[in-house]
Amino acid sequence: MSISLPTYTRREAPLLGRRDRLRTIVTTGLRREFKRPAAIFAIGVGTAITTITAIVFVLFAPFFLPGQPLDLRFFYLPASNVAILFFVSLMASVIGAALISDDLDSMALTLYLSRPITPSDYLIAKAAILVPLISMVSVLPLVITPLLGLVLGLFPWDTALAAMGLAVLVGSVLTAWYTSISLFLSSLTRRKSYAAAGVFGVTFGLWIPAQVLAAPGALNNPNLLYLAPWEDFLAVARGAYGVTGGPIDWPLALGILAATTVLAGVATYLRMRAVEVVTG
Amino acid sequence: MLVETAGLTKVFGEIRAVDDLSVAIPDGAIGLVGPNGAGKTTFLRLLLGLLRPTAGSARVLGHGIEDGVAVRERIGYMPEHDCLIPDMTGIGLVSYMGRVSGLDKDTAMGRAHDVLQFVGVEEERYRKVAEYSTGMKQKIKLAQAMVHDPQLYIFDEPTTGLDPRGRAEMLDLVRTIARSPGRNVILSSHLLPDVETICKYVTILDGGRQIASGDIATLLVGENRIRVDVRGDRDAFIRRLKEAGHDAEAGPLGVRVARKPGVEADVFGAAHAVGAEIRYLGAEIRSLEELFLELVERTSGGSK
Repeated sequence: MSISLPTYTRREAPLLGRRDRLRTIVTTGLRREFKRPAAIFAIGVGTAITTITAIVFVLFAPFFLPGQPLDLRFFYLPASNVAILFFVSLMASVIGAALISDDLDSMALTLYLSRPITPSDYLIAKAAILVPLISMVSVLPLVITPLLGLVLGLFPWDTALAAMGLAVLVGSVLTAWYTSISLFLSSLTRRKSYAAAGVFGVTFGLWIPAQVLAAPGALNNPNLLYLAPWEDFLAVARGAYGVTGGPIDWPLALGILAATTVLAGVATYLRMRAVEVVTG
Repeated sequence: MLVETAGLTKVFGEIRAVDDLSVAIPDGAIGLVGPNGAGKTTFLRLLLGLLRPTAGSARVLGHGIEDGVAVRERIGYMPEHDCLIPDMTGIGLVSYMGRVSGLDKDTAMGRAHDVLQFVGVEEERYRKVAEYSTGMKQKIKLAQAMVHDPQLYIFDEPTTGLDPRGRAEMLDLVRTIARSPGRNVILSSHLLPDVETICKYVTILDGGRQIASGDIATLLVGENRIRVDVRGDRDAFIRRLKEAGHDAEAGPLGVRVARKPGVEADVFGAAHAVGAEIRYLGAEIRSLEELFLELVERTSGGSK
């Protein structure tokens, strides 16, 4: 009688592709955000308030713009809602500022980058966590407004459809800018509070002084408003919805927003490549 | 070959962290040792594909390091420092890392349970990582490196911060992995006894260069020397041997004498002449620590 010993070989498990790996990071990241009280508050209250105010704009449209025909230009009103600025800033600071800085602080970045993903995959996944959450404040209310107007019969369908398309484009500009800037600030520090303060600093620290200095009583130079991202966004929204008479031109404002978005993205990528992830 | 490099060089400004390194590391359990600043970190980062070499090339498990994703699919890396996501549970983190490595959801969860049982984190797997002790965190770090069943494990100081019992447990786990068929281990450690007990092969780096590499058992045997333990006037004994035309020097564990025909007779003759007593005469077998110190000293002496 002979005894044959079992032969052992490593069991190769088929590995899924990079898209599935990134999807895992995104879905897990979103799930983690929806467990954080601060994030739940920012998402819930931000979405509720911006959506409710957008609905109020529609329901009381003739009251807000007496004598003006309800055409595409009307939708500049909900787009210029300051609540959007506040809650986008809040979400970018509460959620976006923590996305990379938390991984730097816990050094979990090492775990990610020692996995079969690249630094750009990591950044794309982090951006993909933030984009849908910010869009709930920057895009959703702008899309709901024409939709509600269409349902209520206030706007013809072609105007409403055009407004919805423009809402996605205009809202995406704001979403991309805040995503890029907040991830950049988040990559600079291990402390998310610093990055969060940076988001508010960049938003309001530029907007308020620019408005004060550009006023007729001060320097009386409207070009200073280009320095404020919110003013740039308003100029882009005016251009998109066909509203005339703004203090700054939309093409240059769009160029500034696009350039800073790309620059912040590239800087974040370079920063991630430079971060020390293996010690020993 | 597990790792092959040819003229691998990485320069940071004026510092040559890895300098023209050409190694051929065979499969199995490999120790990577070297003093601080020897280039171990940079070498590991190059192997993981996280750094681009300034010059030269390297292959890990047959894959060029320029294809970092393919290399990292086959590597399980256990970092030295704390790197866990504190708000996740042990099981959640390990299965998550499995999925980021490319496992599907069910396989990742199944493997996560298996490896957590293997490392001895069973009841605690549903607790948050932030609540774990240092020893449990080390085990979770080991489990996340194992979850996708890689061909190559890179352990960076796996016993850091552990008490003696935890250290023994961790070494047992690493040893079990190292002895499993189809798995290879690179153990980077300052604790040379750990390397000596687990690894069969060692690569010693200093100043970004390889100063020794080979089978540990072979390296520890002094190639051309014998060791003589003497009771009595050791200095006079050494002087006498030198007068007889032998290359002799005092070592940490006795007198080291170059091997050549007739040396044994001369050793006894010298001992007799100075009234010393020979307690041991035989092949010089050093500990890895002694070998390491000797090589580093020789290298720094040569560079001066």
